[in-house]
Amino acid sequence: MTVTEPAPTSRFVRADGPDKVTGSGRYAADLTLTGVLQAAFRYADVTHGRITRLDVEPARSMPGVLAVLTAADVPDVRYGPFVADRTLFARDVVRFEGEIVAAVAATSAEIARRAAAAIVVEYEPLPIVNDVEAALAPDAPLVHADWASYGAADPIVRDRNDASYASITKGDADAAMADADIVLSSRYVADASHAAPIEPRAVLAQWEGDKVTIWSSTQVPFDARAGVCETLGLPANRVRIIVPHLGGGFGGKCGFHVEAHVAALARAARRPVRLVFTRREEFVVPDRRREGMVVELTTGLRGDGTIVARTGRVIIDNGAYTADSGFFSQLAAMHVAGPYRIPHLHVEAHLVYTNHQPSGSVRAPTAPQACWALESHTDELAAAAGLDPVEFRRRNVVDTGSEGPSGQTYDEIGLRRCVDAATAAAGYGRDLPDDEAIGVAVGWWPSFTAASGAFVKIDGDGSAQIVTGAQECGTGAVMTLRQLAADELGMSPDDFQLVYQDTSVAPYDMGATGSQTLFNNGRAVVHAAGQVAEQLKRLAADHLEAAPDDIVLADGQASVAGTPSRTVSIAELAGIAAGGELLIGHGSGAPPSAPALVGSSCVGDVGMAAFVAPQFSCHAVHVKVDRDTGVVRVLGVSAAHDSGTIINQIGARGQVEGGVMMGIGQALTEGTRYDDAGRQRNPAMLEYKLQTCADAPPIHIDFVEIPTPDAGPRGAKGLAEAPNVPTAAAIANAVAQVVGRPVRQLPMTAERVWNTLTGEDGVS
Amino acid sequence: MSELIGRELTLRVNGIDHPVEVAHGRNLLSVLRTEIGLTGTKEGCDDCECGACMVLLDGEPVNSCSYLAAQAVGREITTVEGVMRGDELHPLQRNLLDEGGVQCGFCTPGMIMSATALLARTPDPTDEDIRIGLSGNLCRCTGYARIVAAVRRTAQEHGVS
Repeated sequence: MTVTEPAPTSRFVRADGPDKVTGSGRYAADLTLTGVLQAAFRYADVTHGRITRLDVEPARSMPGVLAVLTAADVPDVRYGPFVADRTLFARDVVRFEGEIVAAVAATSAEIARRAAAAIVVEYEPLPIVNDVEAALAPDAPLVHADWASYGAADPIVRDRNDASYASITKGDADAAMADADIVLSSRYVADASHAAPIEPRAVLAQWEGDKVTIWSSTQVPFDARAGVCETLGLPANRVRIIVPHLGGGFGGKCGFHVEAHVAALARAARRPVRLVFTRREEFVVPDRRREGMVVELTTGLRGDGTIVARTGRVIIDNGAYTADSGFFSQLAAMHVAGPYRIPHLHVEAHLVYTNHQPSGSVRAPTAPQACWALESHTDELAAAAGLDPVEFRRRNVVDTGSEGPSGQTYDEIGLRRCVDAATAAAGYGRDLPDDEAIGVAVGWWPSFTAASGAFVKIDGDGSAQIVTGAQECGTGAVMTLRQLAADELGMSPDDFQLVYQDTSVAPYDMGATGSQTLFNNGRAVVHAAGQVAEQLKRLAADHLEAAPDDIVLADGQASVAGTPSRTVSIAELAGIAAGGELLIGHGSGAPPSAPALVGSSCVGDVGMAAFVAPQFSCHAVHVKVDRDTGVVRVLGVSAAHDSGTIINQIGARGQVEGGVMMGIGQALTEGTRYDDAGRQRNPAMLEYKLQTCADAPPIHIDFVEIPTPDAGPRGAKGLAEAPNVPTAAAIANAVAQVVGRPVRQLPMTAERVWNTLTGEDGVS
Repeated sequence: MSELIGRELTLRVNGIDHPVEVAHGRNLLSVLRTEIGLTGTKEGCDDCECGACMVLLDGEPVNSCSYLAAQAVGREITTVEGVMRGDELHPLQRNLLDEGGVQCGFCTPGMIMSATALLARTPDPTDEDIRIGLSGNLCRCTGYARIVAAVRRTAQEHGVS
């Protein structure tokens, strides 16, 4: 089934909607507490240097200052999910401009800022690592001189500035390349970019006795709790993270950030402490920048355009610390291989330390850049083979039953149907003016399996609650849980209230990350609701003198199958239960297992070469290029997605539209520029340039719904990240058609397009 | 310290007079959020770049982060909290929800204020009018299409009634 427009009945008004349109919904920065102090950080003054003097007395002695903390005031813990290379405060060495050297809590934000600035810090300069390729040279200065002594997760392969090396090898790429009829090499360079949620992060912490409550704008409250526990030496049951409404994340608010700093300040000051980031801090400080990337690819074809071999090398800018980026090397290797049948493959990827802001998962980490490079290369291959780019893809992409580049054989998938749908919707092949073109790109993205839990309860009046560890960051995934529970129980979504985003109330969930909420927490809610359904059926069976198996739950009623007159309302059953065995379900469910890989070998294997319930997509983008200025305007986007069953049409369409728009920004305007010291030159909204409403093109969406075994509830796969994957690539291929050759840098700014048009890009 | 010297002002917000004592140089946004307690208006950049802090002054949209509180004395200030009609959502608020124009909701108050001003100025806007009218409000979630649809529908419903 291909759905183009949502049916009116599937339109879905989000439960948190009224809070958000009336201004009554509270976000983290809207909260305060009696006696609250305001926090400010002192950041590194150099991007690489050894601290030779650190004097906080000028801050401590300032009236209104109640706490000043440095590395000396917190446990000496080095942390990081893949490589333990980070500390809360700089210890001896600073490695990027947003590194926290000291923290201050004071009676006003102004005093806190002035006190932070009064702290005296002196440094011995260290050589700045500003070029990700030069950082791999054997004699390059080290970002972490003590790298070898750091703890690291087992599969991670490290060497000096290379924080995570990964390769995927299948067949014999060199031999196959030597026999190929056509061999073509390409090189592409993508700038770093940002999640840029409109809400800057805010944290408020309060201690009562030996327990701390932290209100934080995080996408991953349980991960944030784990970070606080690890760095401050606390058990999980003494740290409570509550997330009020979250003002967007896109990965930028994943990970553990400044919750521990604020909690430590509050403990030291014996007062609640609040921190609200400025926009500049939001750009510079979090370890969640989208990674810059250099991609070099060589592909061998038979004369008929069939891919026979590929070799590739990816160099990823890790920045100064390894946040959650340890898996980027293997994932980027998968994305430069792409959803193609490639019998002989050898790709390798390096995640390389620099003195830049650390990289971390931003919406589909590594994929938009790697897809942009691969799909630009693919259009070059099509041209070399004398084939139309869409025809070239039809010949080479993976399909149901075929073997992918890492040796995974796919169950039923809809990639070819995505290509058909997107190109048909865009009118691919029609005549266009010389300055316009339609570019096409395909993409893929895994669904992520994780443990996840929820409770469902029905109170005595028949109203219900879902108590879930899941985190809503705006996507609507948590909102959709009501629909799943309602269907299990024969009730209406409106019968359910959601209790969520509180680590002391609900069971674990990984958070708003990896497009995993509905995939995993949906499974948990279905399980939990199923338990309550069984309870209701037993109660109804007693009440109606029937067998539990004959009870049907629908329309708020429990009825005997085939005898609709024998019925009792769920509300009445809930009233009965309130005096006895309460209606409470809890669920988690077994996550789908990872598919097998055959015939490939992976170094640095962190499990990213096998895609669970893989999602596929094709975008076809119509652009117009102004040859006099290099300005590219996107006239229309056709996006086709196989993300399995679509449960909430309006939410799903919102994810595609938002993801495409983010992809347009990444394609054309969004890129971080660095100065000679590795400082960001454009950490502000206007200088960074998000797309505006005036830039937004019409977006046509097709969902290719394929029944998927081993997926989420009802065959749903993930969705939130996939739409961000192929947009920039499709735009690039359209621009290259007009310009005559690819623009080899991302973003494809007007200046870069113009330089490519005029041959001043230095690439022959 | 000069910033601690207070000044008494009366700000009229959503039809209610609020006497406040604020320092010279305080922006309207921080006074609305902190002294008056209306936190619906958001701060996204403090630099007139994102539009999350948009309020109406005598019906005209301004970025309240870069507008002195003292300049707003004697003017009618409208925030997102003043948009509802009694206990009912304003049609624009309802349409934003029905059309899927709200995701994280952080840009929503500013969008509502800009759209309210647009519809007052241009009751029957073209799509291009809407796109230009909202171009001072950044949204990272929606891709804007559903917000434009909600404003269009609000204008159409108003035209019908």
